[in-house]
Amino acid sequence: MPVAFGSWRRAVAVGAVAGVIVLYLIAVGIVLAFAERNMVTGFVTLGRVMLSIPPLAAGYLIAGRPGPIASRLAAGLLAGAVSGLILAPALVFADAVPQVRDILLRISPKVIAFISFDHPAAFGALVNAGLAAVLGLVGAAARLTPPRLRATLVWGVLGVLIISMLEPFLRPRLTDFGLGAVSRLLYKSHGLTIPGAVVTFAAFVIFTSFWTPLRTRASGAIAASDPRRQATLRGVGLLLLIVLLLALPEIAGSFLSQVLVFVGLYTLLALGLNIVVGYAGLLDLGYVAFYAVGSYLTALLTSPLSSFGLGLPFWVALPVVILGAALTGLFIGAPVLRLRGDYLAIVTLGFGEIARILFLSDALEPWLGGTQGILGVPPLLGTARVDVPILGWELSGPTLTYYPILFFCILAAFVASRLKHSRTGRAWNAMREDEDVAEATGVNIVNYKLLAFALGASVGCLGGAIFATHLGSVYPGTFDVLVSITVLSIIILGGMGSIPGVVVGSLVLIGLPELLREFAEFRLLVYGGVLVVMMIARPEGLLPDVTRRRELHEDEEPEPEADATSLAAAEGT
Amino acid sequence: MNRSRRLSVVSVILILLRIGVAVAVVLGTWATISAGRLNPTEWRDLFIFGIAQGSVYALIALGYTLVYGVLLMINFAHGDVFMFGGMTGFFVADALAKAGFLDGMPSILIGMVVVLAVAMVSSSLLAILLERIAYRPLRRAPRLVPLITAIGASLFISNSVRGLYGEQVRAYPRLDVFQGYFFEGGPFQILRVHAIVIVAATLLMVVLYWFVERTRTGRAMRAISEDKDTAALMGINVDRIISVTFGIGGLLAGAAGVLFAIVFGQVNWFMGFLPGIKAFTAAVLGGIGSIVGAMVGGLMLGVLESVGPNLFLSGFGVPSPNQLRDVVAFTVLVLVLIFRPYGIFGRPEGR
Repeated sequence: MPVAFGSWRRAVAVGAVAGVIVLYLIAVGIVLAFAERNMVTGFVTLGRVMLSIPPLAAGYLIAGRPGPIASRLAAGLLAGAVSGLILAPALVFADAVPQVRDILLRISPKVIAFISFDHPAAFGALVNAGLAAVLGLVGAAARLTPPRLRATLVWGVLGVLIISMLEPFLRPRLTDFGLGAVSRLLYKSHGLTIPGAVVTFAAFVIFTSFWTPLRTRASGAIAASDPRRQATLRGVGLLLLIVLLLALPEIAGSFLSQVLVFVGLYTLLALGLNIVVGYAGLLDLGYVAFYAVGSYLTALLTSPLSSFGLGLPFWVALPVVILGAALTGLFIGAPVLRLRGDYLAIVTLGFGEIARILFLSDALEPWLGGTQGILGVPPLLGTARVDVPILGWELSGPTLTYYPILFFCILAAFVASRLKHSRTGRAWNAMREDEDVAEATGVNIVNYKLLAFALGASVGCLGGAIFATHLGSVYPGTFDVLVSITVLSIIILGGMGSIPGVVVGSLVLIGLPELLREFAEFRLLVYGGVLVVMMIARPEGLLPDVTRRRELHEDEEPEPEADATSLAAAEGT
Repeated sequence: MNRSRRLSVVSVILILLRIGVAVAVVLGTWATISAGRLNPTEWRDLFIFGIAQGSVYALIALGYTLVYGVLLMINFAHGDVFMFGGMTGFFVADALAKAGFLDGMPSILIGMVVVLAVAMVSSSLLAILLERIAYRPLRRAPRLVPLITAIGASLFISNSVRGLYGEQVRAYPRLDVFQGYFFEGGPFQILRVHAIVIVAATLLMVVLYWFVERTRTGRAMRAISEDKDTAALMGINVDRIISVTFGIGGLLAGAAGVLFAIVFGQVNWFMGFLPGIKAFTAAVLGGIGSIVGAMVGGLMLGVLESVGPNLFLSGFGVPSPNQLRDVVAFTVLVLVLIFRPYGIFGRPEGR
């Protein structure tokens, strides 16, 4: 039958793509980087998980095609097997011809041994092919299970993954809190123990299966109650959140506080860029220029070692820095006002590069210190230790920087959310959708664009100022275009124009690589992938802004399935 | 009332900017020339270096212009397509050099043709793949969406190459044929490398011009750049022609990658970024969408970048002006986009 034949061909194609992705992951070095990272010690490593995801996904995808259950399972099996059969000859070849390594550096004997489970390559290739087929079948079976059950199981697996990845910081903290026994039960040599994994899986499964109906009922009850009670509840929730955020460094310990400082810093930057990109729709790729200006201005004003030698206190310098930033924003914004979206992006990129090269150049060295930068920026809150009497906390070092960052993040988020629903926010909205129409309806394009630039610049500068005090010095190497792109990726992942999205984006893109040190090398690769995949699959981001989503999907007919997913997404937020 | 006043403030800033740049260029040039910092031979060498570099920019710029012509989008990842050509070319050249194939005279010609061909084909395949995976699903998306995708693709490609081939800078094999000068000692003395690059780039551009103006596919490309929907109604397979366009852009970028590597003697995974942006500048300078514009823009930018810092900046006593050559290029980019976004050969378009 031609139809059946077509669907088999489709399964082969999907499997082949999965196989090529597996080869890519191996050759680019991700698999080996994670080969030593245990997920469940002695049972599965993160490297193995990476190898397993493509065949699993292939099975899941191909089983989504309509047909009798047996043939859908078989298609999954076929797709998985094909992906394994693509890997097999490559593995044998790479083992037999070591010269491959002259070009593809990562194809080392080590990675070949890892993939073949330390057996001869030919045997390993066969095992892998069989494993891939089974994974394809599992993926297909997952597609066929009822959604509720599937979600529960997926959360169980994700839970195991998350708890195992948190090992480097969770383990010492557990011991600190006197839960050494729990830590010994859960972890063994940088991974979960097998009983630990079972317990974690069970805990997550039980939690999810009780939590989901409970939450649905609770949110229904809240929606049904009167508005004043809703407001009170929201207030209590916000208060709890703030208390949690204040206590976070104490709970998390000093290593994670350091990570939190960076997450917070990028959240701040992203909140600023979100005004420019998310609200006003101006793609600014030179955002790093403001960050750099903020850092350098702060360093010049506060460091006794700078060419000014003023040594002002931070809080005296701050208004000057912000004013300087807003002026820089206006200076860069004014000439580019009339440019179209894509040209604007490139011009701002040009400005960012000009700023970086100027900071680096010999020409400005007497003032800005050239490649050396400026040293001796005093820390923001001094070197003092702060004791919180009642709780017995002692705050110092990175923990201290956390609080000003938290303060400014909340401030920026507050200002941004107020602006969004104000007249200004609506004007930006109109401008983003159609500049000409907005202008015709009386929106002053020039003013609103300049305002967006100036606000974004101020927040970016603020981030730079805090960064300078946190690091104690500024030097031009830290300010390249990749900072702009990182911040952009955060916004895109979280959802343009969405404030919760920004927080989630920086947690994932800044926090996760800090926890998974092996990741550091592939950070930019992942950011690039995130930008592409998000734009194609979900341009509105993970936690979308409501208007934005409607805008991006306006030309699509509301299909039944699309409705179901968007409902699910709405439920999830 | 208020609004027109604000607009005029912006105009005043723009006028001041123009005057400032003009004054800086004139004064700097005057100071440099009257101080006699460089002798005529040195100026000539800088100029020729500019032409050689500019012809590489021109080849890359053609890729931007062609894609812009058919899709009205800036293929931000084109610089990385160029880098990929340079890298693959390097591996072939390195293998050939180790086999001793690039020593003698007849075999070196064949060898370099092979290197060029491999680089061109691999860049071309990458460009086609890029279009197929990253851009085709977004044909009808809002304008910023494909641009963000392109930025992501650029990051993804360059970092993939870094992961696959390693992050060290690799030295291109030194070939005797490329050392030394043509017309040594005479007034037309020129580095052999520069001469070869200029000739090769010119040949490729002539072939491209012929292809776009004279062949059926070229005519289809021009038709699509006039009006995509009407072209489709006339029976042109738009998707296929767009693929072909990306492929041709990739071919030229691959060749540019090899030529660039020959001039600078090295390749690395990050080499696509700056030339990519500069070539884009060149394309806009000449008028994006115009083929002749990209060629002229590339040459102009190459010369400006090579002569400019010494001519405009050293007169002010700026130390090590060549550090600032990228600033000159970026300033040209910013100024062109602000004052003449339709370029030299373009026509002002409606928004």
